[in-house]
Amino acid sequence: MASVKLTNVKKVYDNNVTAVHDFNLDIKDKEFVVFVGPSGCGKSTTLRMIAGLEDISGGTVEIDGVVVNDLQPKDRDIAMVFQNYALYPHMTVYNNIAFSLRLKKMPEEEIYERVSNAAETLGITQYLTRKPRALSGGQRQRVAIGRAMVRNAKVFLMDEPLSNLDAKLRNQMRAEIILLRQKLDTTFIYVTHDQTEAMTLGDRIVIMRDGLIEQVGTPTEVFEMPRNIFVAEFIGAPKMNMMETTLEKEGGKYYVRPFGARIEVDGDKAQELAAKGVGSRPVVLGVRPEHIVLADGPSENAIPCKLEVNEMMGSELHLHVYTEDETRLIVRVPTINLSLDQRKGMSYGKQLYITFEGKVMHFFDKESGLNLIYA
Amino acid sequence: MMSNNAIGASSSPSQMKQHMGLKASRTVANTLIYVLLIVISIVWLIPFIFILLQSFRVESTHQVGYVIPQQWGLDNYYNLFKTDFPKWYLNTFIAALFTCVFQTIIVLCMSYTLSRFRFKMRKILMRFMLILGMFPGMLSMIILYRVLKDLGLTQAHAVPGLILVYVASSGMGYYVSKGFFDTIPKSLDEAARVDGATRAQVLYKIILPLSKPIVIYTVLTAFMAPWGDYVFAQYISNNTSAGKNVAVGLYGWIKTQDQTAKYYTQFCAGGVLVAIPVTILFMCLQKYYVEGVTGGAVKG
Repeated sequence: MASVKLTNVKKVYDNNVTAVHDFNLDIKDKEFVVFVGPSGCGKSTTLRMIAGLEDISGGTVEIDGVVVNDLQPKDRDIAMVFQNYALYPHMTVYNNIAFSLRLKKMPEEEIYERVSNAAETLGITQYLTRKPRALSGGQRQRVAIGRAMVRNAKVFLMDEPLSNLDAKLRNQMRAEIILLRQKLDTTFIYVTHDQTEAMTLGDRIVIMRDGLIEQVGTPTEVFEMPRNIFVAEFIGAPKMNMMETTLEKEGGKYYVRPFGARIEVDGDKAQELAAKGVGSRPVVLGVRPEHIVLADGPSENAIPCKLEVNEMMGSELHLHVYTEDETRLIVRVPTINLSLDQRKGMSYGKQLYITFEGKVMHFFDKESGLNLIYA
Repeated sequence: MMSNNAIGASSSPSQMKQHMGLKASRTVANTLIYVLLIVISIVWLIPFIFILLQSFRVESTHQVGYVIPQQWGLDNYYNLFKTDFPKWYLNTFIAALFTCVFQTIIVLCMSYTLSRFRFKMRKILMRFMLILGMFPGMLSMIILYRVLKDLGLTQAHAVPGLILVYVASSGMGYYVSKGFFDTIPKSLDEAARVDGATRAQVLYKIILPLSKPIVIYTVLTAFMAPWGDYVFAQYISNNTSAGKNVAVGLYGWIKTQDQTAKYYTQFCAGGVLVAIPVTILFMCLQKYYVEGVTGGAVKG
């Protein structure tokens, strides 16, 4: 249990490639922080710098107020779970979990107790005498977590721990990590490229791109108030639709003009735009697929488009449509809102009319990509 | 002839027959392979059996035109112990043992370092050693002798000198084991280091237990080379009996025709005794040895 503080942390490799630029973050005691971003964004590198597996090129990393830059991993009191599990193949599950405790020269009775407790929590008691190669992927992952658990380390680091599991097991283990977190009650830093994992697990999410932090916030903040186009597109699946259009201010009201339609911005968004003093201007309009609704027919605020792909997800349809100027948009329609005829009629080339929910639109600057309201 | 039949059968339209044909051709292939292997192993064993039989021949000591002894006995072995042979045997054993221990440690540490650490000049060092290794060791003989002579490690004191020569360049033999270590995922090292292990603990608690074949391969080669060495041993002992190893000592008995006539069977007995420890080592460890030789490239 400890706080972690990163100040101006930098990673420059020998070939002068900068993997992490000026990373600043305060992680509170017992907080669950998720680093998320596309591959190559520097999230794993940052985690490995905290673990002591990579040298820190600049800045400082503090754990519990102590600068650990020059400490070996073994002296940092951290536990880590690796993507490929990294179980010691020549040791039984019991010895794998007990390895760190034996290095600490802990008495065997205590080791036995800790390993048994961890094994029980993770449901792997019956596998303790097996070698890792005789375990399935999910069981191996549990052993890896058990190995980190018994340490009672200050900080728990996880580097894409679920990426090697199949989709079903991943969902199950994700839920187990949430439970585990409640039991362990320690500081977690979790790295993933999967925004769903980030949203479901994190108290706070750090979204990274090209070695830079794009936004830090709670799942709700990054979802509802994305700082820029990158965050808006990265968080949420399917990703947010982006279109260049103009924002018009007319008599205290705001309108957007996508594809010739005229849609009023209402609710909080209109007030927030007014508060920021935004006037008429070109914008990049962002609308999440679930905030696009099917209109009954042509009207002033409806955009005509044609259906290209219909993905039946069960509880909802993902409709890939294209407008008259060939812009592709994704629409998410709950199946419950459609009649049977409508559901059956969703085939290639069907003429549709769509409109946007006025209160959940996002406005970005075209050049900087920044959110006009929240950046 | 048989293989022709097999091909004929396998081209028959019936699936059953095709299956039979495949099986038959496999049997033929296996038989041929086994016959060949048996022939090779007989050819390979002939000299050894020959020496073994000669070592039990007591009716005469010179070379004869037959293989099976007319009179059997252990005289040749008994006589060995009246000569300097035990001393040579001990010399060889000490040299091989120390070389084996030091060389194994050096090679494994070197391989681990080159496999896991990234430091400046690493690539250059590896290339340098590769090129250096292409020069025959014999090139350094004269200067080595001078150096060892100045250190007082020649002639009667040749054994420590030999150990020095054998061990000195052993770091350059890192290729096979580095290749093997490279196949062990680095995340295992990292996990162990996070778990609280030092670099040295990572090596002997994680890497070495996972590299059993390569460790055994390293031990075996490190033992074998000095055990069978002739050139350096002859050169550094410089005809002083107290400093000879078995190869040099035994060869001394068959240098001239007169000597050969007197010592030939005894020479054979010595040869058998020299082969025993190596044979035992190999029989115990051959499984690992094969894995080690092939595992370096692919992955064990």
